[in-house]
Amino acid sequence: MNFNRREFLRRSIHSALGGATLFSALGNLQLMAAAAKAGNGGIFPDYKALVCIFLNGGNDSFNTIVPFDATHYGIYQATRPAMAINQAAVAALALTPQPVQPGLPGGPPSDGASYGLHPSMPELRALFNNQHAAIVANVGPLLGPITQAQYQNGSHPAPPQLFSHDDQANFWQTSRPDDANANGWGGRIADLLFDGNPNQQLPMTMSLSSQSLFQRGASIDQYVMSANGVETIDYLGTYQNQLGAQTFNALIADGVQAHMFERAYARATRRSIATYQMLQAALNPLPTWTTPFPNNSLGAQLRQVANLINVRGPTGLNMRRQIFYVSLGGFDTHDDQLLTHSGILATLSQAMHAFHQATVQMGIASQVTTFTASDFGRTLSTNGDGTDHGWGGHHFVMGGAVRGGRFYGSMPSLLQNGNPDDAGYGQIIPTTGVDPYAATLARWFGVDNAGLADIFPALGLYPSADLGFIAG
Amino acid sequence: MSISRHFANLWHRLPAMLFCLLLPLGASSQSLFADGFEELNDKSAARFLDQATFGPRLQDIARLRQLGYQAWLDEQFAAPTSLQKAYLDWIRLTLQQGVYQSQRQEAWFIHASQLYNPSNPLLTHNDQLRQRVAFALSEIMVVSDKNAALLFQPWALADYHDTLARNAFGNFRTLLEDVTLHPAMGRFLSMLGNRKNDPVLNIRPDENYAREILQLFSIGLDQLNLDGTPVLVGGNRVPTYGQDHVRGFAHVFTGWNFINCTVAQYSDCAPGNPYEEEWTSPMAPVEAFHDNTTNKQLLVYPGVALPNGLLIAGGNATQELDAALDNIFNHPNVGPFIGEQLIQRLVTSNPSPAYVARVATVFNNNGQGVRGDLKAVVRAILLDEEARHGHEGVPTTFGKLREPITKLALLWRVAPGISINGRVFRWSHVRDEFGQLPLSAPSVFNFFKPDFAQPGEIRDAGLVSPEFQIATDTQLVTAPNYLGWRIMLFYVGSRYSVVWENGAPVPEETLFDYSALKLLAADPPALIDHLNLVMMSGRMTPFMRNLLITRLNGTPPDNIPGQPSGAPQDVPLWRVQQALYLIVNSPEFNIQK
Repeated sequence: MNFNRREFLRRSIHSALGGATLFSALGNLQLMAAAAKAGNGGIFPDYKALVCIFLNGGNDSFNTIVPFDATHYGIYQATRPAMAINQAAVAALALTPQPVQPGLPGGPPSDGASYGLHPSMPELRALFNNQHAAIVANVGPLLGPITQAQYQNGSHPAPPQLFSHDDQANFWQTSRPDDANANGWGGRIADLLFDGNPNQQLPMTMSLSSQSLFQRGASIDQYVMSANGVETIDYLGTYQNQLGAQTFNALIADGVQAHMFERAYARATRRSIATYQMLQAALNPLPTWTTPFPNNSLGAQLRQVANLINVRGPTGLNMRRQIFYVSLGGFDTHDDQLLTHSGILATLSQAMHAFHQATVQMGIASQVTTFTASDFGRTLSTNGDGTDHGWGGHHFVMGGAVRGGRFYGSMPSLLQNGNPDDAGYGQIIPTTGVDPYAATLARWFGVDNAGLADIFPALGLYPSADLGFIAG
Repeated sequence: MSISRHFANLWHRLPAMLFCLLLPLGASSQSLFADGFEELNDKSAARFLDQATFGPRLQDIARLRQLGYQAWLDEQFAAPTSLQKAYLDWIRLTLQQGVYQSQRQEAWFIHASQLYNPSNPLLTHNDQLRQRVAFALSEIMVVSDKNAALLFQPWALADYHDTLARNAFGNFRTLLEDVTLHPAMGRFLSMLGNRKNDPVLNIRPDENYAREILQLFSIGLDQLNLDGTPVLVGGNRVPTYGQDHVRGFAHVFTGWNFINCTVAQYSDCAPGNPYEEEWTSPMAPVEAFHDNTTNKQLLVYPGVALPNGLLIAGGNATQELDAALDNIFNHPNVGPFIGEQLIQRLVTSNPSPAYVARVATVFNNNGQGVRGDLKAVVRAILLDEEARHGHEGVPTTFGKLREPITKLALLWRVAPGISINGRVFRWSHVRDEFGQLPLSAPSVFNFFKPDFAQPGEIRDAGLVSPEFQIATDTQLVTAPNYLGWRIMLFYVGSRYSVVWENGAPVPEETLFDYSALKLLAADPPALIDHLNLVMMSGRMTPFMRNLLITRLNGTPPDNIPGQPSGAPQDVPLWRVQQALYLIVNSPEFNIQK
């Protein structure tokens, strides 16, 4: 909406890096954020980590969280005859939600149905029933709340290019459907809070799964690392190669490249080296996790996150706030959904369980909050053996700080015809925006009201800026 | 090459060679070839070949200087197409060995690096420009073996790449149709097996291919001006299509499956083996599953042939496909949208709008009234004033980050890659080290997006740098390590255990033949100047040149990796390795300018 202002902010922040943040609006916000932290010169007194699990391709959450009571299963089965999960299998993984606490959001599902999880997710079901995880219903990118009538007659703005992977994934990660140039909201949080970390060299944002828009910031650039450990440049450590290493370093040194892209390449290489040196020292030796991580990509990514959190202290990485990005692919289930979806949901469930157990082992379960995000939910209608790109979908939040065992927000209707939540072709209109979902996490992480307003400018359009799924 | 042809080449080269001798070094000639372009020197020829091929060898530089741009392009347009599928067939039928995606990788390198081809020793792969354009197209019209349905289908992907290569100099409309009907694409974006509405089962046509052909393969999300800038109305971008159009195309793209499929088998027509013809033959219609009862809303734009862009129900699958592809092909966005991306892949990340407009104009009309002539488009891209001289106009931003996979292809051109039996890899094929392999992107959105801007100076300047998206902290370590591994250990004569077994070289592993470079290495400046020409178009700064020469004059280690124990210290070998490693991992080399 305000491209010029964002651009101005970006430029002023960048030019101020390493210097005074005079006259920049975000600079002032950063000062305010620093002042809001208790003592220690703006350093956070405690440790907190946010972990984003992005489900690439758009998770079919309507087959992840499924009603099994006769009435609601009947509706679901009628809408998805070719794609319905077996009723008894869902009932076997029944969720037992906590009752409503007076004055607080969350509780049993809003539609009164009985829900269970996909049969491949027993671990996540246990996390929910033990109140370590919660479900946030029907979340998706919005430009403020919108009704079916408003969407269909165009009287209220909706995000552009709905149902496209790239765009909706971007909207999820930026929470700014109005600004194609926006940074990610994880990156914007890091821009605001980065000086709350004692270690200013390691970025607050780290990705275990390549560059993520979620973590792209104006001044803080995410560190991308492999799930398999820290690899170093062999040449720089080769025996009797001191002059070779000197030459390599001289070529990438600051200030010797004339071309802008050469400078960028040199800068990226220098940063990669400086960071792997730090991480290599900190991550040796690796801890032993009592609950093994599953032997797959997401398991390896989350194990590496746990390894990194494990060395958060002053003798290690010396971090107080960290945001991690991991991802799991294969959710774009246009084909063979019944088969493929089972496998990836099992991976998700097992990996989340192992990760939660690792945080328990470290004694910081309440300081680590994990949440899922995805391109979109999928259509209620199917294409025979798969489903298409939808809009809203359900998500999981997990951690000791989460008010778990509860549903938050409104469960959509699963009716094929006359569905009040249907955008038109089985795509479900979200009833909870990404803005309040993200803001609830950001507030817990340490962003104050002024910061929230800057990071999520549309937050005021929603009935509540805090969905209440985190205690405190 | 026959003796007589060799002499003929020399004869044609003579005037250019004499001409250069008369000029002071570095002075660019103002003299013009008959084709209107100035006389080429080694550096300007190398720079052109850096954009049009996988790297200039000395003989390529000589050939281009002899022919001039236009005739060189004509020669490339006429060169026979190198095909990957034939290589896979040879491994299966003649060697009777397993074929996986890494065999496709072998074929890609044989073509890109012009390696000896054991499947057809008489074949010389001279279609560099075609292969480079095909590789560019493979990053626009993406299919990927990362998709579980294609992971074990090397023939489908090889044939898809061959399809891009065959069409690289053809018409975009044909390319669009061949891509649409290829079973690899059909599987990747689920048009294969797509079916009409079934109200009882609540089944609707799959929208996957409909969406991506519009968003990524042809017109993009926003209406564009001829110069590639977005059309703005009231300051806002204007969408090219909405959900109704996606739905319309999704209905058109129903009723297609593998060849030889029947109505009864429609949901499962996949052949039992990856080499069967179903995987390499265009999909065929099964009319019972084609929607012939609904009108389809297709694209609307000035001059659209279908009234209001509406395709009236009743056509069969083929008729409707033709109409829909015509409807897309004639959208005014295609020229700037595809033209700009091809410029980005070949020449520069940030072409001026005027450059894009010139290329789009040629796309719209090749001068003879033909739209979509890719031969004319490629010619326009490479011969544009900005391609040839942009580095002089904006010397600090012109160009692009080299794609990681092309660095190995280039190295095997600089120091020829050879193996005993002509195979390229036994165990050493590229895995994740580059964050990139042909037809192996993480998703349909390619390895990197055309508008990715590296945070920091590039982004602040409002520029884009697509390839930087995969220059991650990880890749900036793993790629140098992989390249270093090969440079230091995969050379002719190496005793390294991966390439040397039982007293002989492992027959399948490709090794660098450093013999020609080692002859130069007695004189470090001569070696550096040669590598500067064939790797950096002679644009290495004196700063870098001095650093490298100092390094090469330094002391080698006591033991050079891969040398037999007790062998005398091979200083030329060590110098060649050091020079190649330091150049290929330097910032100056990594930006193609």
